[in-house]
Parts: sequence; C-alpha cells; structure tokens
Amino acid sequence: MSSLSRRNFLRAAALTTGAVLGSGLAANAEPLLGRQPGPEDPEVPNEEVARILRERFGDRPIRRGHVSLDMPAVAEDGRVVPVIIESDLPMAPDAYVKGVHLIVDHNPDAHLAAFHLTPAIGSVAITTRIKMKRTTWVRAIVETSRGELWADYTKVLVTLNGCG
Amino acid sequence: MAGEIGEARIRIPDQIRKGDVITVHSIVSHPMDTGFFRNRDGDPIPAYFIKDVVVTYGESDVARFEWTSGISRDPVVTFTLRADREAPLTMVWTDNKGGVYRQSVHITFATA
Repeated sequence: MSSLSRRNFLRAAALTTGAVLGSGLAANAEPLLGRQPGPEDPEVPNEEVARILRERFGDRPIRRGHVSLDMPAVAEDGRVVPVIIESDLPMAPDAYVKGVHLIVDHNPDAHLAAFHLTPAIGSVAITTRIKMKRTTWVRAIVETSRGELWADYTKVLVTLNGCG
Repeated sequence: MAGEIGEARIRIPDQIRKGDVITVHSIVSHPMDTGFFRNRDGDPIPAYFIKDVVVTYGESDVARFEWTSGISRDPVVTFTLRADREAPLTMVWTDNKGGVYRQSVHITFATA
C-alpha cells in the first residue's frame, strides 16, 4: 500500500467511524443537504440511475437508516445473487412502507424491482435472487406512506457476468 | 425446480395463530430471459420474463411486485403477511408475453 492510498484509507475509515457515531442523531434530524450523498453513500454513477431517482423520488432527500440490504460481498455467479431487504419501520394503517425499490447501478435494467406493499403485509422482510452484470453498488430504497425515503447501500463484487 | 413454465408453489407455516405475521415463500418456474443472450446458432433469445406479481389475501390486494428480467431464473420471493383472518392467499404472476400463472393457499388457524 503506497503512502497515498494508505492516507485515503485512513481518512475513509475515520469518516466511516464518524458517520456511525453520528448516525443515531442524524436519523432524527431534518436533512440539511437534500439529495447530496453522505460520506458513506455511493455517488450517482450515471444518467440512468439519476433518472430513476428523479422520476421515482423527485428531489426528496434519501437518508440512510431504517433499512438493511444484505447481499454477499462477493458474488461468484452473477446469475443468482441472493438479496435480503428488511426494515424496522412500522406497518400500521396510518404509517407504513408502501414501496421497496431495488436499484443495481451497473445493470442493463438498473431499476431491477419494486415491491409495493400495504399494512396487511405486517413487516418489511423481502428476499429474492437477482442477476448482476458486474461489480457495482446496489441500493435498497424504501418509501413510506408519508413520503419519507430511507435507504441502505452495499457494494457487491461480481466475478461472473449474469446478464449477458 | 424444472417444471413447466408457470408451475408455482407457495409455502406457509403449518401452524398459524390469528394475528401472526407469517413468512410466505414462493417459487414459479420461468426462464426469465433477459434478451441479451444468444442460443447455440447465434440467434438472440428474446426477452421473456415475469414483469408483475399480485398478492391477494381474501378480497384485498396486499402487495404488488414490479419485476424486470434482472430477477433470476425460476423466481423465488419471500415476504410476510399479517394473518388476521382465514382466507385464501393468491399470487398471480404475469409475464411480458401475456402469460398469467396463478397459485393459492388457504390461511387457516390452528385449533388450540
């Protein structure tokens, strides 16, 4: 590791630690930065992902929290990659998760799936299996009935293209 | 699962009590072709995939899934359901060529 990349690594580690320590406060605070990503959020990589975010969510802030996206760090076969999306948000008649969006930044169809839910579903705990073309960030974004947006992100290393 | 296209199964717990949030497992047999692959003769394999799934509990639509060919072959999906009444749970999968596939299970409560 060169001294430069080592410094970047240390800075990234410090940012991550700060974000984790601060997340409890940040989760309840009103967003100040709008759409701008936090230090640990992936950047919007292309016009396609920008268009999906704009068309589905307008300019509402997407905050990290209340969602967990679990996938393998390394997907040896991009044809079958397991996905688990869970949320601790309520599923009550007056406040519930109405949509769960799965976006794979570098797939041909980046907006891979949307799961539209009602309170009758009782909780957000969705699993499925997806195809991935190459190494990329994956976004799970949930939309509540009140219009709030919460997200989790994970980067998956793909060794065998599963999309053709 | 190597059944015919559209052959589907839904699995729910054996013992359900009223009010339980149960886990529902489902699988449907479908090639989920992306349209990006070619066959051995070099001809493109057209896109052929399930694009819509509707989940109905009794008379109510309780969930709807929008899918693309990015869902893996023979799609599995697991979700939950608040079992608050005895009624059928039905899933209807629709593909981009108009194929419609349906499967149901009946939610009944265990007798104490």
